[in-house]
Amino acid sequence: MQNGIFKSPIAFAQAPLKPINGIVNGMETAITMADKAIEASRYELLSICDVSALNRFGVKGPNAAEWLAAASLTLPEEKNSWTLQGKRELVLRLGSSEYLIEEPLNSQMVAQLNALPVNQSGVHKVIRNDASFIVSGKLATTLFSEVCAIDLSGDALEENRLVMTVIAGVSVTLLRQMLNGQSVYRIWCDGTFGPYLWKTLLGITEEHGGGAIGFSFYYEIN
Amino acid sequence: MKLLECPINGIRPISEFTYGGEYRNMPNPDTCSDSEWAAYVHYRNGAPGLKKEWWYHTPSGTWFIAERNTMTDKVNRTYLLGQEEAK
Amino acid sequence: MTSRIAKKRGEWINRDKPLTFQYEGQTVQGYEGDTISSALWAAGINVLGRSFKYHRARGVLSFANHDVNAMMTDGVDTNIRADVWPVADGMDIKAVNTIGGVLKDKNKYIDYLSPFLPVGFYYKTFYKPKSLFPFWEDKIRKAAGLGEVNFNYPRIIKPKKFAHCDVLIIGAGLSGLSAAVKAAEQGLDVIVVDENKQAGGSLTYDYAGEQTTADTLTSLLGKVESNPNIRLITDAYAGGFYGDKLVPLVGKDGITKVWAKSVIVASGAFEQPPVFRYNDLPGVMLGSAAQRLIHRYAVKPFNKGVVVTANDYGYRTALDLASVGVDVVAVIDMRRNGAPRDLSQKVRDKGIAVHISSCIYEVIPTSDKLGVKAVSVCPYDDISAGADSGHTVRLSCDGVAMSAGWAPAAALLYQAGTKMRYDYSVEQFVPDELPEGVFAAGKVNGVFDSKARQLDGQRAAAEAAAFLGKTVDVVTVPKVEMAPPSHPYPIVEHPKGKNFVDFDEDIQVKDFINAAKEGFDNIELMKRFTTVGMGPSQGKHSNMNAIRILARVRQLPVEKIGTTTARPFFHPTPIGHLGGRGFHPHRYTAMHEWHVDNGGVMMDAGMWMRPAYYQYRGRTMSAMEAVQEEALAVRQQAGMIDGSTLGKIEVFGADATEFLERFYTGKFSKQKIGESRIALLLDEAGVMVDDGLAVRVDDEKFYVSTNSSNAATVYREMQRNVQLWGLQVTLVNLTGAMAAMTLAGPKSREILSTLTKADISEASLPDGNMIQAEIAGVDAKVMRVSFVSDLAFEIHVPYKAGLHVWKQIMAAGESHGIRPFGTDVQRLLRLEMGHHLISHDTDGLTNPYEAHSEALLKMDKPFFIGQRSLKIIAKKTLNKKLVNFVLEKDFTGDMPNECNLVIEDGNIKGRVTSIAYSKYLNRVIGFAFVAPEQGSTGSTFSIRTDSGAMVKATVVKAPFFHLLDNDGE
Repeated sequence: MQNGIFKSPIAFAQAPLKPINGIVNGMETAITMADKAIEASRYELLSICDVSALNRFGVKGPNAAEWLAAASLTLPEEKNSWTLQGKRELVLRLGSSEYLIEEPLNSQMVAQLNALPVNQSGVHKVIRNDASFIVSGKLATTLFSEVCAIDLSGDALEENRLVMTVIAGVSVTLLRQMLNGQSVYRIWCDGTFGPYLWKTLLGITEEHGGGAIGFSFYYEIN
Repeated sequence: MKLLECPINGIRPISEFTYGGEYRNMPNPDTCSDSEWAAYVHYRNGAPGLKKEWWYHTPSGTWFIAERNTMTDKVNRTYLLGQEEAK
Repeated sequence: MTSRIAKKRGEWINRDKPLTFQYEGQTVQGYEGDTISSALWAAGINVLGRSFKYHRARGVLSFANHDVNAMMTDGVDTNIRADVWPVADGMDIKAVNTIGGVLKDKNKYIDYLSPFLPVGFYYKTFYKPKSLFPFWEDKIRKAAGLGEVNFNYPRIIKPKKFAHCDVLIIGAGLSGLSAAVKAAEQGLDVIVVDENKQAGGSLTYDYAGEQTTADTLTSLLGKVESNPNIRLITDAYAGGFYGDKLVPLVGKDGITKVWAKSVIVASGAFEQPPVFRYNDLPGVMLGSAAQRLIHRYAVKPFNKGVVVTANDYGYRTALDLASVGVDVVAVIDMRRNGAPRDLSQKVRDKGIAVHISSCIYEVIPTSDKLGVKAVSVCPYDDISAGADSGHTVRLSCDGVAMSAGWAPAAALLYQAGTKMRYDYSVEQFVPDELPEGVFAAGKVNGVFDSKARQLDGQRAAAEAAAFLGKTVDVVTVPKVEMAPPSHPYPIVEHPKGKNFVDFDEDIQVKDFINAAKEGFDNIELMKRFTTVGMGPSQGKHSNMNAIRILARVRQLPVEKIGTTTARPFFHPTPIGHLGGRGFHPHRYTAMHEWHVDNGGVMMDAGMWMRPAYYQYRGRTMSAMEAVQEEALAVRQQAGMIDGSTLGKIEVFGADATEFLERFYTGKFSKQKIGESRIALLLDEAGVMVDDGLAVRVDDEKFYVSTNSSNAATVYREMQRNVQLWGLQVTLVNLTGAMAAMTLAGPKSREILSTLTKADISEASLPDGNMIQAEIAGVDAKVMRVSFVSDLAFEIHVPYKAGLHVWKQIMAAGESHGIRPFGTDVQRLLRLEMGHHLISHDTDGLTNPYEAHSEALLKMDKPFFIGQRSLKIIAKKTLNKKLVNFVLEKDFTGDMPNECNLVIEDGNIKGRVTSIAYSKYLNRVIGFAFVAPEQGSTGSTFSIRTDSGAMVKATVVKAPFFHLLDNDGE
C-alpha cells in the first residue's frame, strides 16, 4: 500500500491560485479556492473544480461486464452511457467493453473491486490516472462552445449518455449528471494532460467571470 | 469532408480522427512472388473512386472502415471491421 | 456643414449618444450607430480614401460593406473598413495608402501617369534586365498594398466558438426572414445571420419614398424575435462554405463555426455600377448606397443630383432622394423603354425630369477633382451600347446615384458547388443545380418582386424541412412578369477612359479590351492579367461587368464566358480571427514540479515537457557544462532521469504471445515471467519504426514499452492489428497512468536497496529482468535496462506516486552524489553505450540490416510485420551501414554536426546521425551512415563540416568505453 502523500495531477497548475489544500483519499487536493460566497457565485455562473482525488477503478475486456455483474454492479446497457449505484458510485461504460467506476467519499466499492480477484480470461483491470473536473454554471455550454466541436446543448448527453470527444485538443470523457441537486458536467482526461486542460478551461472560465472552486464545495470532508 | 461518423461514437468533426490508409488485402506472404509483395507494399491506387479506408477515432480508440468516394469526398457508410453486414 | 437630416423611422443611429472623433486631423461629430463613412459623409466630408493604384480620391460607392477604397488606420489597427466600422468616441483615424493626407496625397501624380500604366505594365516592364529586378521589386512592393502592418500589434485572443443548428440562413432580408419563420414553424432549430448591424436587408433602405417597406419589416421581425427556435445573429458575416455545411460566422470579436444540417443562402445581390467616365468621383454612388445613407444613417447623399439608371431601381432611388429634400435634376434611363408608366409617373410628379435612351457620357469634376460639378448627358442606344457624344447636355449637380443592375451574392453557393446558369429574364446568373441540403432564396435566386421573395424564402424553408425529414407542403412561387432588374450592358465607352469597372484595382474598360487583344480572353486569364476581382472586395461590384465586357469583346453570350469563384473569406478577415485561440496541449509528468523547482531547463519533447538538463540547485552553468557534469555523475556515482514519457502498453489475453510474435520481430513464446525482450517494430516495407522492451508479467500478460515519441502510434497500430488478426487480446495504454524513472550508475543498486526489501542483487535481478517490488512503500515494477549505463534500474509506479518515489530516491542518493539528468544527457549516455535511436539515427528508409540489428530478426517465425519485405531486402546488396566512430584524440577544430555528409572522392557516402563530445571518454564520438566498405572496425572516412573542412573519423566498436583503455597509449 501507499506510504506518503500523493498530489493531484493538477496541484502545480493550481498553486498560483493559492488554494487551501487538504488530503482526500491520500491525495493532496485543493479543498477551498475562495470564500464560500465567491465559490457559490462562481458555481452559479461558471466554475471548475478538480476532483481528481476521487477513487476510481477501471476494467476492460470482453468479459468485463460479466465480472462486474458478478460483483453485483448494475451496468449501463448502452455503449457510451453511465449509471449510478446505490451509494452514488458512477459506472461509466466506455465504448463497448471498458468500464470506469468512480466512487464518492465514504464508499468502499473501489477498494472491494481492487481486492476482488480475476479468475477468468477476458477481464483486465486498468490502472487509472485521471484528471477529473466538475464544470458547473449557467455559462457551462458557452465554455464548451469555445473548446469542443460537438453540440452539447442538444441531446448528446441526454438519457445518461456520455461522449468521448476532444476538448481544447485533449481526448476526454464527458457526461452531465445531477450532483447535489444541480446539473453539472463531468470531465475525465489522462492526468498528464490535466494541468494543461485545467489552465485552459480555467482561463476561459475566468474570461466569463467565473472561477475555480474547491473539492469541499461538492464533497464534505470529514 | 469535415465530419465523419464513427460506428460507435456517432458523427464527429474530422479533427477527432486519424486516417489509417486504404484498406487493402495482404497477399499471402508465403506464396506470393517478390514483385507481387513489392506491389502490395509500395503501390497505391490514387485514381479517384470508392475506397475502403481505415479511420481511427482518437478519443475512444476506435478503428473502423469508411467507404469513401474520393472523387466526391462522400462517405457512403462506416462500420467496424468484419461487421459490414450488420450495418 | 452637415448633411444630417431629421430623425427617420428605423434609422440606425442613436441621437442620444453623440460621439466625437478625429479624421485626418479634423474633429468630426457622429452618433452611436454611425459607421466611419456615414459620420464623415454627414459631416460633409466626401473624400474617404485614395484608390489603390492611381491614388484617385474616392468616396462612398456601395455602402454595402465592400467599399474598400475607404479604409482607415488608427495607428494600431489598419485597413479598417470605414463603411462597416462603427465610430467610437475619441478615435483618431486617417485614410491608408496616402502620403501627406487624403486630400493632398503626394501619390496622386500616379493618376496622371495612368495612360502609361496599362494592365500588365509591371509584368512587361521590369522583368529585364534581371539584375535590376531587385531594385524595382523594392519600389513596387512599397507602392503596392494598402495599410501598413503594425508589428507591435497587441495579442488579443479571439475565441473560436462552435454552434449547431438544423437550418442556417445566410441573410436576414425579406426572403431570409420569411424562410426563418417558416422553418421555425416546423420545429426546426434556426440560425439567421446577417452582416449588417440590423436585420432587414433591403427592407431597411429601399423605401421608394413610402413606408410600406418599413411596415413589412416591423411585422416580420416581430415574428422572428418572438420565436424561440430562431437565433438571429447580426453584425457577423458568413465567411465561407466548407464541407459538410460548416460555415464560419465572422463577428467583431471572433469566429463561430456553425455546423448546419441544411443551409439557405438568402444573401441577396450586389448592386452594380454602370460604367462611364469619372464614375468613381466622390459623390457618384450606387442608388442603394444613397438609399442606405438616407434611411439607415439619416444622411442626405448630396444636395442636387441626377440618377442614372438601367432598371427600375433608379426611379425608386429618385423617390427616396426627393423625399429627403434632394433636388433631383433628372433620371437618366439608359433603356429605350424606360420604366413602367406608374413608376415613371410617380417620379415625374415630384418634378423630376426623366430622359430615356440616355446616358451619362462623363462626369465633370470640380476643379480640385475631389467632387462632382456636373454631368454630361447624351443619347444612348442600349442595344449597340452606343453613346452619341456629339449631342451632350450638361446638367450641373453635386452628386450622382447609379443603378444598372445586380449581381447575385453567390460566393457561398459557388463554394458549396452550385452550378449556376444565366437567366435572361432577369439578366443574372441564378442557381441551376444546388448541392444536397443547400437552398437559395430571394435575389440571389433571381427573385426580385417583394411578394415573390417572401414566398421564395418560405419555399426554400419548406424544401429544407423536407430534406431534414419533416412532412411539409410544397410552396410554389409564381413567376412575376417584370423588366429585368439588370441591364445586359451598362457600359459607356469614352476615348479618354477613366470609366472604371473595378474600383479596388482601378481597372478601366480599355484594360479589358487590351487584355483580350493580348490573348487573355478567357475569364480566368483575364482575371489574373487585369487583376479584376482580385482586390479586397473580390469583384463584388466588378466581376459581372467584366464578364459582360468580355462577352461583348468575344461576341459570345454571357453564359459562355462563365464566372470565377470568390474564395473564402467573404470579406477581408483579420488574421487574428483566423488564428483565434490556439490550443496547444502539453503533457506533464508527475515529477514536473520537482524538475522546475530544481533548475530543470524544460523543453518541448513532442507534447511532453521534459528537462533537457538542470541548472542544479541554483548553479548557473552552460548547457555543455551541465550535460557533462550530469553524465559524469551517472558514470561515477548515480543519476536519475524522468522516463515517464516512455510508451507503456499492457497486452493481455489468451493470444498475447501470438500477437507480439506477429507484431514484433522477436520471439516471445519461450520468454519467462519477469524476463524482457527487445521489441523491434518494422513497417510492412521492413523499415525500423520503433524499439522498446516487452516484459512478460504472466502467462497472458506483457508490459511493453515504446519510444516516447511513438507511444500513441504504436498503440494505435497494435489496436488495428488486434482487429485485423482477430486475436483474443486486450490492450491498455498506460503511458499516462504510469510514472517511470531510470536510476543509473555504479551506486544505483546501493541507493535503491535502501528503499526496498526486495532482492535486487545481480543474481536475482540481472540485466533484462523485471521484478514487482515495493519501492519507498509503493508497488513498483523494477526493471534492469542498460540503455544509458550497464547498471541501471527502470522503476515504474502509478502516476500519483511518481513524485513521491522520485523524491525518496533522490533523498536516498544524496550522500552518494546522485544527480538528476535530462534528455540531452541521456542522448550522450546512450551514445557512449552505443545504442542508436530509431528515427534519430535511422530514417524512413532504414532497414535492420543497415543498423546492425540482424540479431533481433527471427526470420524462422511464420510471420511478423515486415518479414516478407526483409526476405527480399536480404537478397540485395547493402548500400549503407550505421557505424560507431571517433574523431582523432584531442580533436580541435571545426566540430562536425549531425547531418554533415560523409564524402569520399567528392561523392556522398553517408551522413553523421549523432555526434557529441564525451568528457568521460575525452573524445568526440558518434554514429554515421557510411558505405558498407567503409564500415569495418578501424577503417576511416571523412566528414565534411558546415564550413567545408574535411574531418577524419575512425570506425570503432561499441560501447565506446574501450577508448578509455587506449588512453594511455
